[in-house]
Amino acid sequence: MQVEPGQRVRIRVKVNGVYYEDEVEPRKLLVDFLRENLNLTGTKIGCDTSTCGACTVLLNGKSVKSCTVLAVQADGKEITTIEGLSSDSKLSPVQQAFKDNFALQCGFCTAGMIVQAHYILSEKREMTEEEVRDMIHGNICRCTGYQNIVNAILDASRRMRA
Amino acid sequence: MYPAQVGYYRPDSVEEALDFLDSNEGKVLAGGQSLIPMLKLRILKPKYLVDIGDLKELSFIREGEVASIGATTRHSELASRKVPGLEIVQETASKVGDIQVRNMGTVGGSLGNADPSADYPALFTALDATMVIRSKKGTREVKAGDFFKGAFTTALEPSDILEQIKVPTYKGYRQAYRKVVRRAGDFALVGLALLLKMEAGEVKDVRISFTGVGERPHRPLEAENALKDTKLTDGDVSRAMELAVKGVNPPSDSRGSSSYRREVMKRLLKNTLEEMRGAS
Ligand SMILES: Cc1cc2nc3c(=O)[nH]c(=O)nc-3n(C[C@H](O)[C@H](O)[C@H](O)COP(=O)(O)OP(=O)(O)OC[C@H]3O[C@@H](n4cnc5c(N)ncnc54)[C@H](O)[C@@H]3O)c2cc1C
Ligand code: FES
Ligand code: FES
Repeated sequence: MQVEPGQRVRIRVKVNGVYYEDEVEPRKLLVDFLRENLNLTGTKIGCDTSTCGACTVLLNGKSVKSCTVLAVQADGKEITTIEGLSSDSKLSPVQQAFKDNFALQCGFCTAGMIVQAHYILSEKREMTEEEVRDMIHGNICRCTGYQNIVNAILDASRRMRA
Repeated sequence: MYPAQVGYYRPDSVEEALDFLDSNEGKVLAGGQSLIPMLKLRILKPKYLVDIGDLKELSFIREGEVASIGATTRHSELASRKVPGLEIVQETASKVGDIQVRNMGTVGGSLGNADPSADYPALFTALDATMVIRSKKGTREVKAGDFFKGAFTTALEPSDILEQIKVPTYKGYRQAYRKVVRRAGDFALVGLALLLKMEAGEVKDVRISFTGVGERPHRPLEAENALKDTKLTDGDVSRAMELAVKGVNPPSDSRGSSSYRREVMKRLLKNTLEEMRGAS
């Protein structure tokens, strides 16, 4: 694939199980592609400097910061966003645990936090509080002080093991 | 925030990438975890990005007397794999940034970027690793000690691709990578890679390398030599601490002053040596 500066190129991605094709400039960031081209605005832009994790999505099953990935890098790959975690208006166990544990206040970090929680629980079902804190340190929350977020993830891990 | 207009080339092989780099003004893109932030800040405005991030032939970990690590191997892959005789690589990789960064970022990208506070440069300096570099002209090998030229500057030319890192193994060595950060996920204020071989209560071999204390990784050979054949008494450790900071003038910035960083260097070395001395 070769694209000249200023030109666009057609990319194809599978987002939340659905194939999409669109033309993008190589400089288009994945987060902007999701929000602007696909109208999937659940994924947030917090810092836009690779720091806060609000833009976290799964790329081929692995969590990444979509403000630090180009849409062309995702060409041919699978993406899961916050919109893809629940089905038929039923919350996923992690989403339910966030709700039950009051793990959000303003909610700006929440989409990224929940996607990251899904990822770490897909890697490891049983975790100590310390491990949870370590595994979400790429996600910043300015409201909650993290305690309820950590509780929610531990709660979700218990529910998913039950 | 988004990058300036840029072209994009995705080769199907290293050979294709080298051909393209030879005749175009391109910048290698691996995981993008250092490059994309710089493009967004418009510190860099290359004509083309040459995306080698998904080239299978560059992503591997091969064990052996001398192990080899492909340049686009993700931090997360290194963090989840114990390579016999190179346990320190796993420990270091698991301390780079956060999970999201480790899922995208590659070992070759970190080396190519050569941030003076990055973790792998100190690691591979301590391990005396060899960088295998390819260009249209051929393949050449550069020792880690010669690879890092200064802050964000390496032996790589714009048309080169770092193919792999060859790393001798250190069986029977105690190994540790320690870093001091002010906040989780930060680059190291000071980082230390330490390998120690003890036999009959005496130091047979020791390798020390610091990050974050200058433009390049710092390997204090005088401190290493002073520790050899000692019993690692408190006096030996104190002497090594002084020699480790001799002639080093770390940067001062908002995260710590130069003299504070020197103190952290000494403490990191002391604590890690004492830990290893205890763990027999
Ligand atoms: C939030 C955050 C926290 C971080 N924390 C740390 C940390 O604690 N410690 C740490 O060490 N690093 C840290 N990093 C940097 C991280 O390790 C990057 O992943 C790494 O520096 C770059 O790897 P990459 O594959 O993403 O390379 P890219 O960003 O794609 O490329 C980086 C540079 O290397 C060149 N390059 C890449 N691959 C090759 C190759 N094979 N041959 C020739 N040139 C090549 C590129 O042209 C570019 O100049 C952090 C980054 C972020 C965003
Ligand atoms: S918006 Fe991507 S990390 Fe903050
Ligand atoms: S709930 Fe407001 S930032 Fe986390």
